Amino acid sequence: MARSRRSRRTLTVIILVVLSLSLISLDLNGRTHSVTSGVKSVANDVYAPLRQGVLDIISPIGNFFAGAFNYGSMQSQNEQLQQTIGQLRAAQAERGFEDNQLRQLMALQNLPFLQSLTTVTAQTIDEYSSNFTATITLDKGRADGVDVGYPVVGAGGLVGQVIQSFHHTSVVRLITDGQSKVGVTFGNQLTGIVDGQGPSSSMTADLVPPHTALYKGEIMYTSSLDAAAFPPGIPVASVRSFHTPAGASQETIEVDPEADLGQLAYLDVVQWVPPT
Amino acid sequence: MTGRSMVRVALVIFVAVMVQQTVMIALRIGGAHPDLLWLLPITAALLDGPETGAIVGFWAGLAFDLVLPTPFGLSALVGCLLGFVTGSLTAAVDPRAAWLKPVAALAGSVAADMLFAVLGAILGQQQMVQIDFLAVCLVVGVSSIVLVLPVNRLMRWALAGENNRRSLVSADAGSRAW
Repeated sequence: MARSRRSRRTLTVIILVVLSLSLISLDLNGRTHSVTSGVKSVANDVYAPLRQGVLDIISPIGNFFAGAFNYGSMQSQNEQLQQTIGQLRAAQAERGFEDNQLRQLMALQNLPFLQSLTTVTAQTIDEYSSNFTATITLDKGRADGVDVGYPVVGAGGLVGQVIQSFHHTSVVRLITDGQSKVGVTFGNQLTGIVDGQGPSSSMTADLVPPHTALYKGEIMYTSSLDAAAFPPGIPVASVRSFHTPAGASQETIEVDPEADLGQLAYLDVVQWVPPT
Repeated sequence: MTGRSMVRVALVIFVAVMVQQTVMIALRIGGAHPDLLWLLPITAALLDGPETGAIVGFWAGLAFDLVLPTPFGLSALVGCLLGFVTGSLTAAVDPRAAWLKPVAALAGSVAADMLFAVLGAILGQQQMVQIDFLAVCLVVGVSSIVLVLPVNRLMRWALAGENNRRSLVSADAGSRAW
């Protein structure tokens, strides 16, 4: 009796493991990825409004507790503001949030590198949904003209690339993610690749010849090499530190993202497809 | 599991996904947030053994896979293995032991996160091991200890009526110890 129960238990687990492995294979296989992607797309279309509904209910509660926990710092900040701006404080406090949103939207409209490319402005609705990836979710998807592979810009430079597109939402891989690689150009026609090293580590610029002349703060732009994944001229990162270890075949360069990844409220998705 | 239990478990999984994606991801400490997913197979395994733990882990993982950017099926695989191993390792332990749930939650969550990252890297998602493991393990481990009691209560409700180990304990004793 106990043996048959143990056998049944083992069989159940084996079936579930095989099923899981089959799903993973379907997802990672280029030809069958559309199956899992389709399932995820349908699930996200159902899930997104439900999630928004829950957020609408719990947000006021969260805001209440956030205000309560930050009461001390808010009070001292308010005193400083009262000393410096007096009567204007109340008016600015009321309009601050709207002004900030407006400034971000205005800045998006004047980014020099967008040139004549069409863009879709989107709002970030979710950040870092997994502990293992640096991704954000936007409130625009296929129905709004956002597709997989499109670059995402804002807050001063390149933010990332769309990796999943659903009906009305899309997932963007940030340039700090470990999977992100961006071909860049800088200085006198020099090229390299800016590699993400995960959200908690500095990005690096690789494939740069040893002893290349650089300076701190030098900006690296997306390159215009054939079949590049991004349109040319988008600011990607600026040099933070550089040196060439003895005997190394390339210069060791640490870079910071040009885009302020702490300000991702509004972003532009560039409707750009790499030339074939 | 009976049909009624399956519906209840599905409801608990749905609630867990919603809470995870609305409340938990907002609680970021050191770049990491609590993870409710692993607590579902752990509590199911503690209440009803390795088979139920594996089944709940598989379906919970699949539900989370629908909304996560990681490979589809990976959470289901790890959840299934976690439920089975937790149930097998704790089969001989007195389910009334006060230390059982916190220890299982801490060890299980941290082990599951490690396995999840390593399997992801093996499957070509190198970024999954390029994270601050210490921060992730600390946040997920400590939060799991705190959250295991309410999740266990939900799972007990979902599995009520099952011929599980916990049901051998009197209802009064059970309610005192969650």
